[in-house]
Amino acid sequence: MPWRETPAELARARAEVPVTLATAEGTLFGLYTPPDPAAPRAEHAVVLLTRPRSHRNRMWVEGARQLATRGFGAFRFDYHGTGDSEGVTAFLDPNRPYRGDIAAVLRMLRERFGHQRFMVLGACFDARTALSAFMDEGGSIDGLLFLAAPVMELETLVKAHADRKDWKHLLRALGNRENWRTLGDPARWSHMAMVVRRVAQGGARGGVRNDTPLADSFMEHFRALVASGARALFVYGDADAEYASFQVALQTVFPRLTPEQRARFDVEVWPGDVHGTLNVPVQRRVLERALEWIGQFHPQAAADAASGGPAAGGR
Amino acid sequence: MLESLTSLEPGSYPFRPVRPPLPTEQPLVSPAPAASLAPARAAAPETPFFLTVAGIPIYAVFHAAVPGRASAPVVVHVHGLGVEQITLYRQEVLAARAAAARGFPVLRFHARGHGDSGGSSADVTLDSLVTDARAAADEARRLSGRSRIVWLGVRMGALVAGVAGGMGSGRDDADAFLFWEPVEKPADFFRQQLRTLLFSQVAGGQRPEATVDQLLARLESEGSLDILGYTLQRSLVQSLGTASLAPTLTGGRARVRLAQVQARAKLAPAHAQLVEALTAAGTDVQSALVQEEPGYQLMSNPAWQSDALLRVTLEWLDALA
Repeated sequence: MPWRETPAELARARAEVPVTLATAEGTLFGLYTPPDPAAPRAEHAVVLLTRPRSHRNRMWVEGARQLATRGFGAFRFDYHGTGDSEGVTAFLDPNRPYRGDIAAVLRMLRERFGHQRFMVLGACFDARTALSAFMDEGGSIDGLLFLAAPVMELETLVKAHADRKDWKHLLRALGNRENWRTLGDPARWSHMAMVVRRVAQGGARGGVRNDTPLADSFMEHFRALVASGARALFVYGDADAEYASFQVALQTVFPRLTPEQRARFDVEVWPGDVHGTLNVPVQRRVLERALEWIGQFHPQAAADAASGGPAAGGR
Repeated sequence: MLESLTSLEPGSYPFRPVRPPLPTEQPLVSPAPAASLAPARAAAPETPFFLTVAGIPIYAVFHAAVPGRASAPVVVHVHGLGVEQITLYRQEVLAARAAAARGFPVLRFHARGHGDSGGSSADVTLDSLVTDARAAADEARRLSGRSRIVWLGVRMGALVAGVAGGMGSGRDDADAFLFWEPVEKPADFFRQQLRTLLFSQVAGGQRPEATVDQLLARLESEGSLDILGYTLQRSLVQSLGTASLAPTLTGGRARVRLAQVQARAKLAPAHAQLVEALTAAGTDVQSALVQEEPGYQLMSNPAWQSDALLRVTLEWLDALA
């Protein structure tokens, strides 16, 4: 069944505050959902990233309002060049996330709404943008929910998968996010990883030391996540093309983490597809898991866990 | 009859005959110039806000007009259904921004059960869509101070706009209806949605689980269907029943402009029938072809936008003002 607002969620909808904030790329449009004053107050504001900001089937609208009924502040917005926001519309490359946009949003939430601690979540490009937030705001973010994002350069992926096709064709194909899904050939990935690893051996690209086949930007932002001390949940579907690239990360950067660092990161691989959220059951599962995981950060949940009381994050 | 469909406006696009095709027929909207018409910045303030309709918060954005065109009507956007509200969203924003820069105030809104508004998609009906559109139009007039409205209806939003502001609506403030790939008959629209679902299954290497008719039977018996992550409700389909666009416009004084947005080089039969019927009834109607394919049911990266559609929309607005 589609989401039907509870009276409490409808009250949060009525309380939402449209926000515009100026950035170098143009004015961004977003909506702040204030926490329910009747709910035990959570420490965090949660930023739900996607474009346009409501997400497929309004997943993030529901997410924001549910979180607010549980005491979290929530914010969803349009990146520059998308949705209501100003700026030039462009292809969104997950390896070139809109770090400036998310940094500006977190500053705004701090200055305008008084939030000091944050959580960020998104899928694909939005997950990579959420991860990039740790470069500027790692000290104020406590949780990252990272859904089904590629972690290698798209150019590398395409080279590995379709070395006989001409570049114009490939670039056109890359313009369609659905086409990425066709890149999920494990054998090609294995071959590509080996080739790219050789190229990458001993190389410092763009000033970033990276001896893996993973994208420089992912490595840089992942290091910032590790240094931040934040927790993270990585979720992929075993049928996601993006999972193949993440498997390389699991084989390269994750084993290098200290036990303490590794303990902060959870990885879940679900049967089927997570990336596209192209059916309602997957949407429900993603949303419910997101709310459950974020709910663990609520002080009430921590208190309940300590006392053996009600489940974390529940209403 | 055909001549009335093919008249050229001075300085406008070469609106060519829709039938029969001429040997020299060209795409009706020429390729966009290299420099995009899509404005990266707003030329005048854009104000997001909520209006309340039947107790439900309805998200809207008011685009103030650049001064200098005080007699221009206010433009009210009426978006499409479900996923089409977001697949065409960016194009709507850019069109609104460009229109405001030319002196037209614009109001866009999210109907209940859509986008950032309140309400459940399960409760969306033709009546709720029309109620929200009328409220948005009233608010647009109030905010802009303009007395005349241009309804910009996108896909199913065309039918909603027609019912909300056309013949039988009780309103007489419509200057024009400007449609982007309008849905003339909802039954055809829903069948097309189901065909897209089945095509996607084939493209994904699956054998289609049913025929369109079987899916419609399932919708009737089960009450809802999951179409690529959006739930199609029997109640919505029933509410639209046998509604069609033509009766909402026939006999009215408002001008009608129809932009077909699909790959074909001639007006689709449904559009051609609408144009012919309205012309026969004495309505001032024009059409244009934008030979692009947004992929209405599928989100793309980047979001679909069309300079050709923007261009014809702005030119029509200029001519209407």
